[in-house]
Amino acid sequence: MQRRKVLGLLAASPAIMRSAAAQTDDWGKVVDAAKKEGKLLIYTASIGSPFHRTVIAAFEKKYDIKVDLLEARASEVRERVRVEQSAGRFLGDLHHNGATTTGLMQRDGNFQPRGFVPNVKNIEAPFEADDIKIPAEVISYCLLINKNIVKPADEPKSWKDLLDPRWTGKILSDDYRALGGGAVFFVVMQNTFGRDFHEKLAAQKPSFSRDIQNSERRTARGEFPLYLPFSLQNLNNLKGLPVKAIVPVEGRPYIRFDLSTLKNAPHPNAARLFMNHYLEIDSQLVFANAGYNPVVKDVVEKTLPEIRPLLATKAMGTTDFTKQDAMLALAKEIYK
Amino acid sequence: MTVAVPLAEQSAAFPRGLARYGRPAGIALLILGLGFLTLYPMAMLLYGSLHSTPPGMAGEFNLDGYANLASEENLQALINTAALSLVKTVLSLALAILLAWIVARTDTPGRGVLEVLITLPFFIPPILTATAWAMLGNAQVGTINLAWRWLTGGESTLVDVYSYGGIVWHMMQYSTPFIFLFVVDAFRAMDPSLEESSRMSGATRWQTFWRITFGLMLPVTTSAFLLSFIRGMESFESAVFFGTPVGIKVLTTQIFDLITQRAQPDYQAATAMGFATLALMFLLLVLQSRMLRGKSFTTVTGKAYSPNVTRLGWMRWVTFAICVAFFVLTVALPVGQLILSSFFQFFGFYQLDMLTFDHYRSVWENRQFWGAFGNTLLLGFLGATATMVLGGIVAYITTRTTWRGRRLIDILAWLPWMMPGMVLGIGFLWGFAILPHAIPIYGTLWALLLAYVALGTPVAVRVTSGAYAQIAKDLEECSRVHGAGWWQTLGRILVALAWPAFAVGWVLIFFGIMRELSASILLYVPDTEVLSVVMLKMWNGGKPEAVSVIGLVMLAMVLIFRWVQLRFIKRRISTL
Repeated sequence: MQRRKVLGLLAASPAIMRSAAAQTDDWGKVVDAAKKEGKLLIYTASIGSPFHRTVIAAFEKKYDIKVDLLEARASEVRERVRVEQSAGRFLGDLHHNGATTTGLMQRDGNFQPRGFVPNVKNIEAPFEADDIKIPAEVISYCLLINKNIVKPADEPKSWKDLLDPRWTGKILSDDYRALGGGAVFFVVMQNTFGRDFHEKLAAQKPSFSRDIQNSERRTARGEFPLYLPFSLQNLNNLKGLPVKAIVPVEGRPYIRFDLSTLKNAPHPNAARLFMNHYLEIDSQLVFANAGYNPVVKDVVEKTLPEIRPLLATKAMGTTDFTKQDAMLALAKEIYK
Repeated sequence: MTVAVPLAEQSAAFPRGLARYGRPAGIALLILGLGFLTLYPMAMLLYGSLHSTPPGMAGEFNLDGYANLASEENLQALINTAALSLVKTVLSLALAILLAWIVARTDTPGRGVLEVLITLPFFIPPILTATAWAMLGNAQVGTINLAWRWLTGGESTLVDVYSYGGIVWHMMQYSTPFIFLFVVDAFRAMDPSLEESSRMSGATRWQTFWRITFGLMLPVTTSAFLLSFIRGMESFESAVFFGTPVGIKVLTTQIFDLITQRAQPDYQAATAMGFATLALMFLLLVLQSRMLRGKSFTTVTGKAYSPNVTRLGWMRWVTFAICVAFFVLTVALPVGQLILSSFFQFFGFYQLDMLTFDHYRSVWENRQFWGAFGNTLLLGFLGATATMVLGGIVAYITTRTTWRGRRLIDILAWLPWMMPGMVLGIGFLWGFAILPHAIPIYGTLWALLLAYVALGTPVAVRVTSGAYAQIAKDLEECSRVHGAGWWQTLGRILVALAWPAFAVGWVLIFFGIMRELSASILLYVPDTEVLSVVMLKMWNGGKPEAVSVIGLVMLAMVLIFRWVQLRFIKRRISTL
């Protein structure tokens, strides 16, 4: 059986090599065509991220292709794309958004096949690309505590520690009833621990807010000892404040951001080239050092020592866009 | 030689040659223009509210959006919204009238400076004052509560901004200066002989204030009340910041939830809620119209008067203290926090080792900021000027003529104010995107400019119509009898006398444009980025300190604008 496999591979190898060579040649053409296009417009739901700018600046320098960013909230980006395409205005090239919105837009036919992208082969499980999209970077969620209020012995070790009566009325949280980090946390805890966990957490009377940046500052100022779910990539912004990020033993919920080529993109080759650039180790390292989990191999090991242990923790789970609205309804039912 | 035309014919006069064809053509053009700016995006939204999917998607017509309105949650949100808005508007109106009277009609010391200072809160981005108040008034570690506990030695809480009271207080910081700006010039334009006559006839000081001073200002005060109440119904920042954490829901947070907080945005329900709000607001408008119908509010007549002031004696120090207290509470405390925070690494962490100029440097070196600043200034100047011209024309037609179609024009001009901003933004997006590609609006500065003009027109119309209502018609007639043409009369009588109101309206609209986000975020493209979008990016990027630097830049601009404006108005008034 083993021998048959090896023989089969040997027989097929010239064809594979020819195909790889052809793809390399084709990729050279893609790069040339992208340079000729000279421009790229990215629609992104990642607002104000300085890391995008860094990765984009490297791309512009390397390929001499000007990149413009149109930043707005996830649903605003989606509606702009939808209405523009309905009106026959094909302005954007690439779309960068959370997996939930990307999944819905893929269902609605807002994208076109991305074509061959060499660095896709470096993508690490559990992430994977399909014909339309590639994973871009991953937001991981954990806990944020105020070090002045929470003594080391009292630090939560497990997500279930949140149910301890000592935290009653002391948890500040992103809203589970709205799309975002809170909803991701809700889904993953529901899938891991079941409804019982949420009913007990609701009894802890968490205080909800949708202003993530301000919630982190409120925790740092001591209004609340504990905030969740904390987006790990915001840790850099809080350096110097009396806060600490904790990934509980069960792991961290996460949400993937995807890159996909918009339907009838005016600069499709530049879009493909940028996708490939995004999956380069150097680009992924920019995100990883900022606290995002990378989607390609051999990056976590190269990250800054203070962030590495947090990134190396277990990925607990994420959302499913087909069930998202049902989960939001369930969250509304439990957290009245 | 001048041939006198019968005054009845002149009252709504237009240049003669133009009167036959020009006037109907002009009215038609105005209705078309206003229709495009206001009715067109509304029509898109109406379609959205009656169709199961947004424009451009297959679906069916139904009333599901409206049927869903009658849920217990929505009714509770409606009650919350109306109650919060009513309370804050009544309190703001009372406070604003008191402050305006102090500044315009008394000999309170430092009135000129106080007038500028009192209006400052209106121009600070709400997210910044909310952040400042969250630091000052949170129940756990807010500065005010810490000071209170230190003073009393107890553990009790004096204030908690995360409450109904906190929402009202935060909203009042915007509505009080807004109403103040509306009424202060009306107070100034009041002929004191009317009040003197009242006093001579035996009325008390209070009766005179209530029946004469306040009574004559009804068009201005009811307009300001309505605008402020409606704005309160559509307020978002205060409720989302101070209400959401304690479960207080209002209409705008419900709409926000429908549009941005779900995997599948429900535009049908959101737009239906927008129209329900519009219908309620329209009822208020009808009520105001009935209240003012058939009454005269003229205070500026051909008779000379000097806008004198009431001598208060020692009481002037009490009025001075009231103004200073308002300034300290609404400006000094939150702005002080902003200034202080802009020099420290983090908002609210005042340690010597965290002192820095980095936030100023980061804004100074930010290319995006400068690009957006340039775009915003251009849009602000063009938008405010165009809106005031349009608003002035609309107000003239609706208040000083009996032309056919004037009611329609008035309603068209009001519409954008009655629809929550985040819903109207979607109407502009849908409306501009589906225009034929040969009309270069979508994706250009024009899209933003037109949206800003539409959004600002209701303010421009209310500001100028309030001022027009105070000017006697015989002044125009006099001008015409003495041979002045229609345009001359318009420029040298009406515009000249209503100039302070024009200036106030211009500033209100200019800074409204600087702050506008709902439509901007949906209409901008990389080359047309505006300040509010850059501020959102900085905020989301974890740079609230840099946002406060921009807020302070905006405040400095307000101070300069207001100073120039007040000097200009004073000179104009002294030469009239």
